Amino acid sequence: MSQQENNIVYTQKNLPSKLLTIGVVILIVGLVLAGASYLIDPVRASFNSLISMMFGLSVGLGILFIIGLEHLTGAVWSVPFRRVAEYLGGILYIVPILAIPVFLNMHGVFSWSDPAVIAKDHVLQGKVPYLNTGFFYIRFALAFIVLWFFFTMFKRNSIKMDSNPSESYVKSSKILSAVMMPFFAIFTTIMAVDWLMSVVPRWFSTIFGVYYFAGSFLAGLGALTLVVIMLNKRGYLAKGLGGDNYYSLGAFMFAITNFWSYIAFSQYMLIWYANLPEETFWFIPRLHTSWVWMTAGLPLIKFIIPYIFILSQPSKKDPKRLTIAAIMIMFGHYYDLFWLVMPAYHKEGFFFSWNELAFPILLIGATITYFAIVTKNKNLIPVNDPKLPQGINFHL
Amino acid sequence: MSVDVLHEPSVIEGRPTFHEINEHITKPTEVRPDRKYMIALAITSSLLALGATCMIITHWYGIGMWGNNNPVGWAFDIVNFVFWIGIGHAGTLISAILFLFRQKWRTGIARFAEGMTIFAVMTAGIFPLMHVGRPWLDGWLFPYPNQNKLWVNFTSPLLWDVFAVSTYFTVSAIFWYMGLVPDFASMRDRATVKFKKVIYSIFSLGWRHSNRHWQHYEMMYLILAGFATPLVLSVHTIVSFDFAVSILPGWHTTIFPPYFVAGAVFSGFAMVQNVLIFVRKIFNFEHIITLDTLEKMNKIMLATGMMVGYAYGMEFFIAWYSGSPMEMFVFVNRAFGNYAWAYWIMVSCNVIFPQFFWSRKIRRTIPLMFIIGVFVNVGMWFERFVIIVSSLSRDFLPSSWAYYTPTFYDIGILLGSFGLFFTLVLLFIKTLPVVSIAEVKAVIHGSQPTHKGGNH
Amino acid sequence: MQEKVLYAMSALFDTPDAIIQAAESVQKAGYKKFDVNTPYPVHGMDNAMKLKPSTLGYFAFIIGIFGAIMAVAGMGYLTGVDYPNVMGGKPFFALPAFIPITFEVTVLSASVATVVIMIAFFFKLPNNSHPVHNTEYMKNVSDDKFGVLVEAKDAMFDAAKVEDLFRSLGASRIIPIYYDLEDIRTVGNIFRPKFVLFLAIVVFVSAGLTYGVLNRLLFIPPFTWMVYQPRVNAQQKSNMFADGSGMRNPVDGTVARGWMPYRYSGKPDEAGLNLVNPLIPNTHTLDLGKKNFDVYCSPCHGYLAKGDSRLRGQFPNPPTLHSDKVRNWTDGRIYAVITDGQNSMPSYSRLVSPSDRWAVILYIRELQRALNAKQEDLK
Repeated sequence: MSQQENNIVYTQKNLPSKLLTIGVVILIVGLVLAGASYLIDPVRASFNSLISMMFGLSVGLGILFIIGLEHLTGAVWSVPFRRVAEYLGGILYIVPILAIPVFLNMHGVFSWSDPAVIAKDHVLQGKVPYLNTGFFYIRFALAFIVLWFFFTMFKRNSIKMDSNPSESYVKSSKILSAVMMPFFAIFTTIMAVDWLMSVVPRWFSTIFGVYYFAGSFLAGLGALTLVVIMLNKRGYLAKGLGGDNYYSLGAFMFAITNFWSYIAFSQYMLIWYANLPEETFWFIPRLHTSWVWMTAGLPLIKFIIPYIFILSQPSKKDPKRLTIAAIMIMFGHYYDLFWLVMPAYHKEGFFFSWNELAFPILLIGATITYFAIVTKNKNLIPVNDPKLPQGINFHL
Repeated sequence: MSVDVLHEPSVIEGRPTFHEINEHITKPTEVRPDRKYMIALAITSSLLALGATCMIITHWYGIGMWGNNNPVGWAFDIVNFVFWIGIGHAGTLISAILFLFRQKWRTGIARFAEGMTIFAVMTAGIFPLMHVGRPWLDGWLFPYPNQNKLWVNFTSPLLWDVFAVSTYFTVSAIFWYMGLVPDFASMRDRATVKFKKVIYSIFSLGWRHSNRHWQHYEMMYLILAGFATPLVLSVHTIVSFDFAVSILPGWHTTIFPPYFVAGAVFSGFAMVQNVLIFVRKIFNFEHIITLDTLEKMNKIMLATGMMVGYAYGMEFFIAWYSGSPMEMFVFVNRAFGNYAWAYWIMVSCNVIFPQFFWSRKIRRTIPLMFIIGVFVNVGMWFERFVIIVSSLSRDFLPSSWAYYTPTFYDIGILLGSFGLFFTLVLLFIKTLPVVSIAEVKAVIHGSQPTHKGGNH
Repeated sequence: MQEKVLYAMSALFDTPDAIIQAAESVQKAGYKKFDVNTPYPVHGMDNAMKLKPSTLGYFAFIIGIFGAIMAVAGMGYLTGVDYPNVMGGKPFFALPAFIPITFEVTVLSASVATVVIMIAFFFKLPNNSHPVHNTEYMKNVSDDKFGVLVEAKDAMFDAAKVEDLFRSLGASRIIPIYYDLEDIRTVGNIFRPKFVLFLAIVVFVSAGLTYGVLNRLLFIPPFTWMVYQPRVNAQQKSNMFADGSGMRNPVDGTVARGWMPYRYSGKPDEAGLNLVNPLIPNTHTLDLGKKNFDVYCSPCHGYLAKGDSRLRGQFPNPPTLHSDKVRNWTDGRIYAVITDGQNSMPSYSRLVSPSDRWAVILYIRELQRALNAKQEDLK
């Protein structure tokens, strides 16, 4: 399949079989650790599982959004990376599994699911029409069905284009992306409210959906950047990628880092300033126990360090610095989710042990395994996408 | 529907030569104004005169001339301030954010939008200055070592506004002026009248189109765009803080910052679109301000309109979810209470009408998009009205609840603000190049070297 | 007539490709003082001219950081040190509330500085007397042509050679540029009358404006006239009332807030039996008692209550308070004396509040014990 007017140099190569082995090993280690931690303390393990699930969902949502944005705006710089995104975004299929421990321990994680708690709490009684177990499960299922639908459609269109270079696929993806955006906003918000905000059922913040979206966009970008750079460095993607394509990734990471900080600051500042007890109580364990150190680290890890790291123009193009920035951003997002959720489990202060590592390891292992399996004998760039040549020869 | 996926629509229709661009863009500044222009100017300056009269009377007798009452202490004055600041945002968005995103279609409208930013901020700035009641003492808003050895309250969002708006104005003006410098140089070299030549020479700073300068100039443009982007977000964010740091239900909600920014961009684009539709017709700029550009603007309006809709929905949901009776009351009151009419004007204009932009046909039909643009502006004005007035009129103390009705002076000043804005826009069109000559030249077909060979 | 002085040889080209090639060739030929003038920035020209990357970003960064630090430090000083004031229950150094202004100041200082530094130091503008102005060359590059020029100051400059180079590159026109003789004569002379006049005007206008705004418009004369108000002040005459006095007496039966009637007036023994000191001795009450004692009691009774008056016989000396009689009185009995007066001692009930009287009593007890210390007290 050679294109006539361009000079794409791409040969399909399989990822080393080692990758699958590594993935499976990590997966097994993760499974063992997760199992052990579940046996020791099911509620604690469920909380950890919830964080890992929301992190995996973040990556999936972020990647889905990037794909949608590319179709919607007709961007070309990200086209050569799209196929990687389409495989990596399959993490959306995996993450619901991590919800299982939570479903088994609903009362422990979500106190609103416990009728005994509801009976005593006048405010929670008012929330029952929304916060009830049945509706919760329905929303969860609906969210994943909708996200899977859009993701699968994008992927299908893109893969079909490999064998049949027709512009109709581009068009249909474009329409699909426009249709997706409202659904994306609604279900991202629902997931954020249900799985993060309702862990402290009395607390509320209208910006919370945007907050989770900003973090998700970051996590998705971080994961995509990391994988793309690793693959491209070893020549699995088309020749001539880099430079301004990387720059765009870096610029996006930089911009969204700022956006997240803006949202996080707005949320904190408004609650701090107005000082209403029904809102500030959420910050009290985070500011008046040993959690405060984690709180202090959040702006540092998620804003200041990445900000300075990718501020300069050359650093946005340098694969090494981008790799570090991507890892930092993903770590920052996990840190953020941990900080959002864990004080609900343990108000008294910060804690950490191998239990907290089990589920992230499980998630990483599952993702690598999945990625290694689905990319087998597949193109890693959308070889016949009409925008691909422009994407590869992309110059600002 | 035909989408040519390989080529983004050309920024400039046809293939004008560089010289034709010069001719074309500078033409409005070099010919005498025609009848249409004079009629337009007459209308806008009459409105301005009306507004100025109302303002002078207000200054003379005090702001008791307005309909503000207790508890509605903030009304048209602040509504108009927020509205006009919001209008300004589209300009910076087009000139800075789209520049960072390398959206070439912005070139045709960037200068114009920047100009509108400056005029909108000027118009907006008048309102808080009047609102303080004794405008001649507005200098006290700035921290300077004064006779009372007092400092301004740096923790007050109202002071943040002073900093935000003045910074925004300054940076926008610099951005605008720096974009104009090369064009002044081009106009200087075209000028035949000595007087014009002197003026243009002064403003062009002796620009020589040197590539040793262009290099830094482009860097500067990038840096300023990089600064202007967070700045524009910060300005409306800070405006939203004016409300959100309080504890008034309906004002205190954490989504306000991004919601206000989206709303500002929304109304700003509607305003830019409305004005551009006239400008391209009157001055024959159809091939520079193309239909594609207008369509893109309509798409952005659709997107930001939905963001605003999301915020409305989220506010309602959380008001219920919060379990706070005050919050619940305020939102039910908004939709079904004393200002329900304003609320439903807002929702229909901001959320429902923009949905027509899903249709490509409507996006590309000028009369229809114009009408929707007007609706959006009306809707966004009412959004601020609903937020400010309906929340205040039903505050914590039922005994002091009151209904606000604007007086003649309120409405006169509102009309006058439109008069001021459009008068400035009209004067701008006639005196300065409304499209950036250098930038347009740089993006037309064949203007950049073909990078033959050379794998960068 | 003076001979024309050559500034540079210049050439015009028609296409962006040609100018890139020309710039590359001129650069490769070894010329240093050359320039390319184009109506818009041509991509790839930096590379063709071998220009170093712009350092403007560093200036923006440094000045931005400087602005941020100044803003935080300034606000912290002004609201925390210079005039600390509680605002909305927030701490004096309320960092979250400082961030918006810090951000604005950062952006403002960095943007203004970037532009000013670029114009003044990088470009050395404004410069309207540059030789290329008002030439055919300038008029063309301002419009639709692409120009390159090599300055005569260049070490390798040779007009004929440069011309040959331009011709070989396919220049459409070659134009020599000369200095404007008028400009040469005045260059560097800042004492031209027009310029000096301009500076003087700037100085006067800005000084006048500053003075007017700060000392006239924003200055409010101190409120010294507050005392002159159309009202009747204390101790003033007023014809409005029949008794001619501006001050009015309270209506009969008016009771001040917190006022309690004294029921033992004229019955000191009864007071001695029934009244109990509500205060307990501690540093606070004793300090209060000492203060009041020193003010009201000590002129006659002496600082140590020995009856050693400082009034040098203007009044009869009161007895000492260290007599057995007084020492054996209850607190209530002493209270009755202070409240009602005794012999030539007047009532102090108007001057010393009830709680202060009790504090005075505590202090008197302290003095009595100190001057009649028992053996065990000294240990």
